[in-house]
Amino acid sequence: MNYLREHPLLRPRGSRVLLLGNEAIARGALEAGMCFATAYPGTPSTEIVEVLSEVARECSVYAEWSVNEKVAFEAAYSAAIAGVRSLTAMKHVGLNVAADILMSSAYAGVEEGFVVVTADDPSAHSSQNEQDNRWYGLLAHLPVLEPSSAREAYKLVKEAFNLSTRYKIPVIFRSTTRISHTRMPVELEDDVPLNKKCKGTFTRDYERWVLVPVHTRRRKPELIKTWKALSEEERFVTAHNPGKEKVIVSSGLAHSYVREVLEALNMLDRVTLVKVNMPVPLPRKPLLSVLEHAKEILVVEELDPVVEMQLKDLVVTSGYRVAVRGKDLVPENYELTPEAVYRAVAKFIGVEEKVPWEGLEPVKLDPPIPPRPPVLCTGCPHRSTYYALKVAANRAGIRDVIYTGDIGCYTLGYQKPFETQMTCFEMGGSIGVAHGLAKVTNSALIAVIGDSTFFHAGIPPALNVVYNNSSVLVLVLDNISTAMTGHQPHPGTGVTAMSEPTTRIMPETVLSALGFKVYTVYPLDVKKAIEDFTKALEDYKRGEKVAIVSRMRCALEVLRDARRRGVVLPIYTVLEEKCTGCMACVKLTACPAIIVEPGSKKPRIERALCAGCGLCAAICPYKAIVIANKPSEDWVKVWTSL
Amino acid sequence: MRNYNILITGVGGQGLLTLGSIIGVSCTIRGIDVSVAEVHGMSQRGGSVVVYVRIGQEPGPITPVGGVDHVLALELLEAARYIHYAKRGAHVTVNDFVWPPPLSVHPSRDQLIGELRARDIKLHVVEANEMSEKVLGSPISSNIAILGYALAVDKTLRDLLTLEAVEKALEEHFKGRALELNKLLLKRAYEEGLKSEQCSS
Repeated sequence: MNYLREHPLLRPRGSRVLLLGNEAIARGALEAGMCFATAYPGTPSTEIVEVLSEVARECSVYAEWSVNEKVAFEAAYSAAIAGVRSLTAMKHVGLNVAADILMSSAYAGVEEGFVVVTADDPSAHSSQNEQDNRWYGLLAHLPVLEPSSAREAYKLVKEAFNLSTRYKIPVIFRSTTRISHTRMPVELEDDVPLNKKCKGTFTRDYERWVLVPVHTRRRKPELIKTWKALSEEERFVTAHNPGKEKVIVSSGLAHSYVREVLEALNMLDRVTLVKVNMPVPLPRKPLLSVLEHAKEILVVEELDPVVEMQLKDLVVTSGYRVAVRGKDLVPENYELTPEAVYRAVAKFIGVEEKVPWEGLEPVKLDPPIPPRPPVLCTGCPHRSTYYALKVAANRAGIRDVIYTGDIGCYTLGYQKPFETQMTCFEMGGSIGVAHGLAKVTNSALIAVIGDSTFFHAGIPPALNVVYNNSSVLVLVLDNISTAMTGHQPHPGTGVTAMSEPTTRIMPETVLSALGFKVYTVYPLDVKKAIEDFTKALEDYKRGEKVAIVSRMRCALEVLRDARRRGVVLPIYTVLEEKCTGCMACVKLTACPAIIVEPGSKKPRIERALCAGCGLCAAICPYKAIVIANKPSEDWVKVWTSL
Repeated sequence: MRNYNILITGVGGQGLLTLGSIIGVSCTIRGIDVSVAEVHGMSQRGGSVVVYVRIGQEPGPITPVGGVDHVLALELLEAARYIHYAKRGAHVTVNDFVWPPPLSVHPSRDQLIGELRARDIKLHVVEANEMSEKVLGSPISSNIAILGYALAVDKTLRDLLTLEAVEKALEEHFKGRALELNKLLLKRAYEEGLKSEQCSS
């Protein structure tokens, strides 16, 4: 994305270019003649459609940020049923949102290649769970392909399109954080084709596309036939050093660790090493030929025993006497590490389990190194909103509040001093959860949801609040961006993924159509925001259906734009003589720019970090925090308008 | 070729991913295989960040504890947090900067440096924020300063990447005046590193 001279996705055949796994997937898809790509942003999948949207015009393809994963899936699937090669990408939990159509799409199939990329997140680096989406293949009777490295992802995604075209069914392509977010040099095998099929035709085949029970029952045997044929595929399994009694089967990324560990042990030639790139359905033939010679097999795979269970099934049905080990030696939770794989492989082979790498003594100090969880950035609008909201709730005399939460940067509000996120389960959950809690408790309920998340899954539960009459206040935090995934546009921004202007839909318009009395609050002006929040909360207390939109741009975008446009933002400083050391600024904002040096009784503001939001100055009871520089006259505009 | 492993650490927002990518592009220019494993999203918001750079043929993305040849740290608490990843005798090039998490109680700069010094490593404490400020007016390019310094003090790293390839990699990440200034900063930091090498030897 940073390549300014020539986009890495546009380089010619034969180039060797450093690609992020997600960029490699995007380039592979382009080479495969894909012409239609959709996604809702979600870590670690975002960059696939992000980079496609950057080159869409040059490559004559279409890319969009859909409103959510279900809609993204529907759009891309439809392109494929009309004969246009398409791709949809989402994070693992995104596929839950699209699961309904995923299941049906297996029955109806496609006319051209359709690849569903699911980027799983073992260790939940940026997710609410670490589900293993290879199960979806077994659930839907769809094949799952899984690369063992970022580089291999580039090649395998092309195979995925061909497989999909050949069998006329969707193919699930499973990446993980360490595939999607690892950069590797990739040798480009082909150019992006100039001529590809971008216009399709829809055949009115009622028996195929209309899944009423009678048609569904006719389609199911077809699906099972395809499923059986897929399990006879041989190309996605390779065996190194075949014929040994000890066999290690590894799927996806696990393979790269297994090979590294065997090399470290100097044991690469002592075992048969089987690499699986299609974990679902597990190809029968190549594994049966491995079983013939094997006495003992170790399956190494990240997260759940998907390959292990199928392999055990194969052992039982084939009648071979082979012991299959797997999750008894390899951890079932968290991402794999070289150490974890080493211990499993060493135990399996029967050598010393102590890892060969010796690290230095960890640092132990008093006080200890404090944990550093992610926090709200300096100048983050959510910090100002949360502060003003809590002050206003106090003023309105609302003491017992449950703040339900949602997915985004603002989830970090669960931390002190805000504690304005008390739940976080899934996209849109804040409002639905608040509704239930409002019905069964006597607490005030404030559902806090981001702008992009509101459009994604917040509208039906908000409608439910009004329809089923619960006492829930809906608060939309509108920073005019899908901030956490890297500032993608959404329906409230008036721009599309391909940078085209479009109708801008304000959350206020939607909320008021749903039946809410809507307040808009601008927390850059902290005092005014407290007043406006208080009014809204008083209405809520009287029993009105109230929604609030709190609007202030993401500080990261503000800082970037100010730099580009040469706008000087204010920078604040603490006046030593006025500061009493009450620490209100520190304790009420938890702003990373306000630092208390060890031994000091007064805080100081780190100049280089201050974003100039002014929250601390508004809080300071002694007016000891002031602007230290000469900001541009119109600096406020950078915060408020696009 | 033997693998050479770098661990980049610091606080999300300090330019860790850019640093990883610059090293990755440098290797690609040199025709050397490399893998740069990052973490995006939630982990970047001022959180503790680790980037694993593995130079050499097709290793897995994560470096084992005790497998790191050179730690590039943009912040002292994070350098201390991940020091156990380093091999005995590894280089550790660290920004002389403590950025405590909000509302935290933490060890002092001297405590941290003392603890690092007590280990079997080649420790280089660099005023990277100040170097960046002198050239660019802000600490925004402390990552480039750290890299420049590291190239001067670690011959293996210098031979692998070369100053020329790193400069070319900068051209892929910056343009215009930002490119000029970052190239200048790289050179200044490199010279500082060479000076300190001469003093110590």
